[in-house]
Amino acid sequence: MTVGGLKHIQVVPEALDLIDIVLSQTQRKTPTVVHPGYAITRIRTFYIRKVRYAQSCFHERLTKILSDFPILEELHPFYADILNVLYDRDHYKLALGQVSRIRSLVDSFARDYVRQLKYADSLYRAKCLKRAALGRMCTTVKHLRPALAYLEQVRQHMARLPSIDPMTRTLLIAGYPNVGKSSFLNCVTNAKVDVQPYAFTTKSLFVGHMDYQYLRWQVIDTPGLLDHALDERNTIEMQSITALAHLQAAILFFVDPSETCGYAIAQQLALLRSLQPLFADKPLFVVCNKTDLGWEQQLDPATWTAIRETAEQVGAELMTASTMGDDGYASVFAVRNRACERLLALRVSLKVSGRQTDSVLNRLHVAEPKLVRTPQIPASVLERRQALRDADDALNQNTAPELACTLSTSRAGRKTERELERDHGGAGVYSMDWRKHYDLTDPAWRYDYIPEIVDGKNIADYVDPEIHQRLLALEQEETMRQSMLSDAVGDEPRADVPVDQPSDTDVALIREKARNQRRLRQQQAARDRTQRPKLSRKALLKVRKTSQAVAKRPWGRAVDPSTTKQQTRKAAHSAPVVYRTRAVSDQSLVPAGLRDVVQARHAQKLVQRTLRRAFSGREHRQGESDRFIGTRKPHHLFAGKMSLGTRSHR
Amino acid sequence: MPQGDYIEEFRRRFGERPDQREKERKRRAREPHKVAVRSKELRGLKAKIFHRERFKEKIRLRKEERALKLKDAVAKKNDTGEDRLKNAIPAYLLDREDSVRAKALTNTIKQKRKEKGGKWDVPLPKVRPLPDDEVFRVIKTGKKAKQKEWKRMVTKVTFVGDGFTRRPPKYERFIRPMALRMRRANVTHPELNVTFSLEILGVKKNPSSPLYSQLGVITRGTIIEVNVSELGLVTTSGRVVWGKYAQVTNQPELDGTINAVMLV
Repeated sequence: MTVGGLKHIQVVPEALDLIDIVLSQTQRKTPTVVHPGYAITRIRTFYIRKVRYAQSCFHERLTKILSDFPILEELHPFYADILNVLYDRDHYKLALGQVSRIRSLVDSFARDYVRQLKYADSLYRAKCLKRAALGRMCTTVKHLRPALAYLEQVRQHMARLPSIDPMTRTLLIAGYPNVGKSSFLNCVTNAKVDVQPYAFTTKSLFVGHMDYQYLRWQVIDTPGLLDHALDERNTIEMQSITALAHLQAAILFFVDPSETCGYAIAQQLALLRSLQPLFADKPLFVVCNKTDLGWEQQLDPATWTAIRETAEQVGAELMTASTMGDDGYASVFAVRNRACERLLALRVSLKVSGRQTDSVLNRLHVAEPKLVRTPQIPASVLERRQALRDADDALNQNTAPELACTLSTSRAGRKTERELERDHGGAGVYSMDWRKHYDLTDPAWRYDYIPEIVDGKNIADYVDPEIHQRLLALEQEETMRQSMLSDAVGDEPRADVPVDQPSDTDVALIREKARNQRRLRQQQAARDRTQRPKLSRKALLKVRKTSQAVAKRPWGRAVDPSTTKQQTRKAAHSAPVVYRTRAVSDQSLVPAGLRDVVQARHAQKLVQRTLRRAFSGREHRQGESDRFIGTRKPHHLFAGKMSLGTRSHR
Repeated sequence: MPQGDYIEEFRRRFGERPDQREKERKRRAREPHKVAVRSKELRGLKAKIFHRERFKEKIRLRKEERALKLKDAVAKKNDTGEDRLKNAIPAYLLDREDSVRAKALTNTIKQKRKEKGGKWDVPLPKVRPLPDDEVFRVIKTGKKAKQKEWKRMVTKVTFVGDGFTRRPPKYERFIRPMALRMRRANVTHPELNVTFSLEILGVKKNPSSPLYSQLGVITRGTIIEVNVSELGLVTTSGRVVWGKYAQVTNQPELDGTINAVMLV
């Protein structure tokens, strides 16, 4: 089972809260209106439903609790034991057992009362029975108060347990209090465990994670252990013991030979010996910590041999470390790497020797190339490398090492940017020259200034990446034309044709182009026409009629009837000109769907009038879409009686 | 501190927010206002629950206050020493306790009389008589005998003994439904003030009608016999009592249980 099961338990309500929840839910989710005049069967089902609903609510809630909490037998033994140590297995089981018992009691009450309700002969009796049923359910659930409170506490604590995966690669740190276990964890992982200079700072298991050989490792820090019998150990120590007993991990047993932890080295070794049964089949390391205190020089040789002998006796590898970082954490990482290697080797060997691997190995075939293909390096490169190497050797022999650095720049042929920076005042002073290596046609252009704005215009808007080609094309065309011109005219220019005048071929060319353009335009127009707004058939007929009428008149002009007289008079004086184009342009002023200018003007007027009305007194409105309604429910529409005929407003 | 205690961990690393105290104080100060708003706005069942809780809380507070005041008052009184002076009796009057003794005498006489009467009394001396049509419902069975309709079903809680076997349906006049048969009663011992769930041995008497007693109908005021062998009661002669009478104090058909008081 994964750790997730422990972490996602729903909140356990208090007993009284549970009762409130269920009762109000029953009230909300079942019908509430019943009358003594109803048929007795209807009354009975009304109350039976309430009893059944309350029972199912209780049942559901309690079942949820029972199914959420893990069954200790189904957990990994490590977790089962940890839960036993922390919450006491008996207490835990009793609490869950009580919940289950109360659940079945609630069920039996409901069954009993539903049976009695079937014989209820009045509303009063049914109601009394329902009341008694709910009351008894609530009373029994009330007895769950201590159990539920305990379970809630357990739930909260479980959610905060570190997520330890018992199956994965693990380093386990153990030892006496205050020997530097937590400091080690802080060194090798990202965890930030509290480190204090007193015993039992760490009161529970802590987990950190790290990467080694592209694998994820977990490191577990355990609370300090004292050397006494198992039954004398307290809860804090028992957590360490559980971890030591159940996790298949590399164990780093920390020892403090400087004895600044407050415990003699003999005691620490005694603990190591007494814990030996827990170390069976696990890579074990005895890490002598706090070398930064200089105990290595002062240590009594007898003590040193004692440590070594004990380590040999329990089958441990002896290492030293300092978590203070005076050696750049080299010793710490040496310990870590060694432990990881051994554990990894052990795990792999276990896997290989396991039964599962046989079936896989049978199917495996590792293909190996027969030819060994070495990388192809050109001879010139090899020569160059050799030359560099020779130069290097020569320098190292002749010059001091600090000079070698500066001199090495010259042998490479060019300075690196880093060196340039160092020569010109270091970081922050030297600014790198970006333009130096611009790849341009003419290297002289590298430092040309490119203005951003010219004549008030951003030149970036006019940049044409293909401007060069265009220019070339243009120039080519020009030369071609000039040559054509000279061909047509002949070598000697004609006297009667001025040089500026276009030739016949030129004209022909231009005309041809114009024709093409016109055709294109027409096609475009034809395409557009299909999508243009259209007049309705009726309107179109009218338009045609008027235009025909106009065409019958001698001057053939579309006129406003109001102004006809004036215009006829005027027209009589003037020549009979057909203003056809003018009439068409008038028509184009009319918006689509309207007959003529008069109608259009009228429509505009209407629009303006409605706008004026809509906006009158509300000039602050954003626009037409700002549909503000001042009073949502005007009083005169909603007050007063509403019998037939009193509402005249709607 | 476990690893997952992120709130404590945060406080340890970064300390409290600078305005935490102020926020807490404000929250405390706002609390009564919030409660007031809730009490105004809640409706229905929620309001009922809320007000019941609030009512209880107020009673508790008032009681505490009263107790405090009383304590203060007593302390004050004791401080003045006037009380002692007022109750002080001169030496020549110290023997006279006549009035007190007389009162005690009358009290004992009254008590005795009461006890004497109590021997014949039951806790519920008067109960409402139950008419037949309330206790029995007419059952229509059979085909030809429909007009007669002589079968009855008992609608009250009944006790049916272990040895009971039904008569053949043709001769079965009274039907006592299984759902309404009860075998146990919650019996309170009036002197010990404890309640036991005891087995019923039989119905001694139903005050409403001898027929009901015969049928084992249990209603309010019925005297039932219960098995007290578990309690280990002993008679004066040293024999273990195993049956005792008790009177039913509730209406079992409404409560679904039988509550009774033991007759001692």
